[in-house]
Amino acid sequence: MGDGVPVLQAEKLSKWYGNILGISDVSLEISGGIQGLLGPNGAGKSTFLKLASGQLKPSLGRLRIFGEEVFANPRLFARIGFCPEYDSFYAEMSGRQFIAFLAKLHGFSGAALQEKVAVSLQTVGLEERQESLIKTYSFGMRQRLRLAASILHEPELLMLDEPLRGVDPLWRIRIIKLIKDMARSGRTVIVSSHILPEIEAMTSDIILIHQGKIFAEGDIHYIRGLIDGHPHQIYIKCAAPRQLAEKMIGQEYVSGVVVDAAGGVTVSTSQRDRFYEALLHTIVERSLEVEEITSPDDNLQAVFDYLVGK
Amino acid sequence: MDEAARERKGWIRRSAGRVFGFFFFLGRRAKKTRVFVLLGLLPILQATIIRTSEVGRRAPAGEGLAIFANFLMVFYLQFFLIILTLFYGTSVASEETEGRTLPFLLTRPLSKPGIVLGKYAAYSLLTLLIILPSLLVAFLILAGQRLGGQTAWMIFARSAAVLILGVLCYTAFFTFLGVLLKRSIFVGLIFGFGWESVISYFPGSTQRFSIVHYLKSLLPSAPGGRFSFLMFRLEPTKPALALLALVLITAFFLGLAGFLFRWKEYLSED
Repeated sequence: MGDGVPVLQAEKLSKWYGNILGISDVSLEISGGIQGLLGPNGAGKSTFLKLASGQLKPSLGRLRIFGEEVFANPRLFARIGFCPEYDSFYAEMSGRQFIAFLAKLHGFSGAALQEKVAVSLQTVGLEERQESLIKTYSFGMRQRLRLAASILHEPELLMLDEPLRGVDPLWRIRIIKLIKDMARSGRTVIVSSHILPEIEAMTSDIILIHQGKIFAEGDIHYIRGLIDGHPHQIYIKCAAPRQLAEKMIGQEYVSGVVVDAAGGVTVSTSQRDRFYEALLHTIVERSLEVEEITSPDDNLQAVFDYLVGK
Repeated sequence: MDEAARERKGWIRRSAGRVFGFFFFLGRRAKKTRVFVLLGLLPILQATIIRTSEVGRRAPAGEGLAIFANFLMVFYLQFFLIILTLFYGTSVASEETEGRTLPFLLTRPLSKPGIVLGKYAAYSLLTLLIILPSLLVAFLILAGQRLGGQTAWMIFARSAAVLILGVLCYTAFFTFLGVLLKRSIFVGLIFGFGWESVISYFPGSTQRFSIVHYLKSLLPSAPGGRFSFLMFRLEPTKPALALLALVLITAFFLGLAGFLFRWKEYLSED
């Protein structure tokens, strides 16, 4: 905002659900650009976004958007867009009817309404299926429809709760581009996810949230640095597991190799990027047929558990 | 009225108007609406059976209207009205929380009391569109021979007016219940078919703590026929007072529902 007021300002914000902690003592300021809210499931990301979108009221502290309290302040929502995580819709209606209804709630009518509906559906690639009932949409399409619902009124602040969940790879790239374009056009976007690479693809400004508290806040490189110290486990299933294991043993970036009877090799490494580089070389060099590469502990919960010293 | 209050009222009215159209559209398509329309055919079917059985028999004058009065009392007032308003009224809030669609409304520039008012108006109109045609057809079938007279139409107009007031009043009450409670249907059933039925047979002023008392007070005194015992113990309130009471009950519960909805948090069940 031009007048120096932060877009979003939380001061000692806490929320409890009875005895259960949602978030605790969160203080932060967001002023423009894309802000990634990263944390494992149950960390408090959704609680924070529900507070920021006025669905919940703070138990303690305060939360202001554009300098105003959010709860029970409907005027603010002409400037805010929110994409919920739940896959819920009103039954028995088409995508176009749904978006048109929401546009009416914003007070649009006539040609302006038609234009808003058409543009938002086109933006998320649903113009060809707009007359189909929502219940016939795939999960990814429904996710895109929710996104259309949150951007139709061109909000200044857009909050997206897990926006890439269930979206196919092509649309993942397009949505990331859309989010970046919105930020470039001067809007503020807050995106939550429990998947680091998703957030990483959109922004370098990250808030790490864990057990209801802000665990770290800052640039992606700082977060990456924390996470790279975490010894990862990578599982490779291939036709020649022993050959692969042989190559990996003794490498300085590999701290352990286990071969199992099912033809899989589990490698422990604290330098994931170097390991993947070497793995690619080995696969090409020895023409290994690889069936599967997964990271059993490559989830944020494991990383957080490591970082908080569990 | 100061500027802020005027603006707040305008905001509520605009929000209610925007919400009304959509939920009226959605309500017409709902499965429960189809079920209720079918339920509304029951008295029509029964009236047809009664009239068919009278073919060849010389029915006493006024018997059709007496049966219609019983239909009104037993089916419409004590059953259909309660069922319809219970399901539509409580769903004003509960369908949003159970279907997890509330964020779509709460994150729009809408006044929360306006949301309640808009949905209430949509569902009340829908209820009236189900119940009144059913009443009219049942009336036409039962009062067939006396349709030329003014009396029969006066009875119908009065019955329809009572049902309209009943719809507005009960829907307001059940809307409040839906906003207040998570399992509002169960409590609503106890109220509608327990409290409302039982208390109207209590002597003295106790029966004034029910909505149905004021509705019955607006109807002509006990009709003849087999079901006259249903109004036997009614100690009616004067019509003007009964009307005032119904308007006040409607306004009170609707206002309370809007106030509660404005300040209450709704958590999804996860």
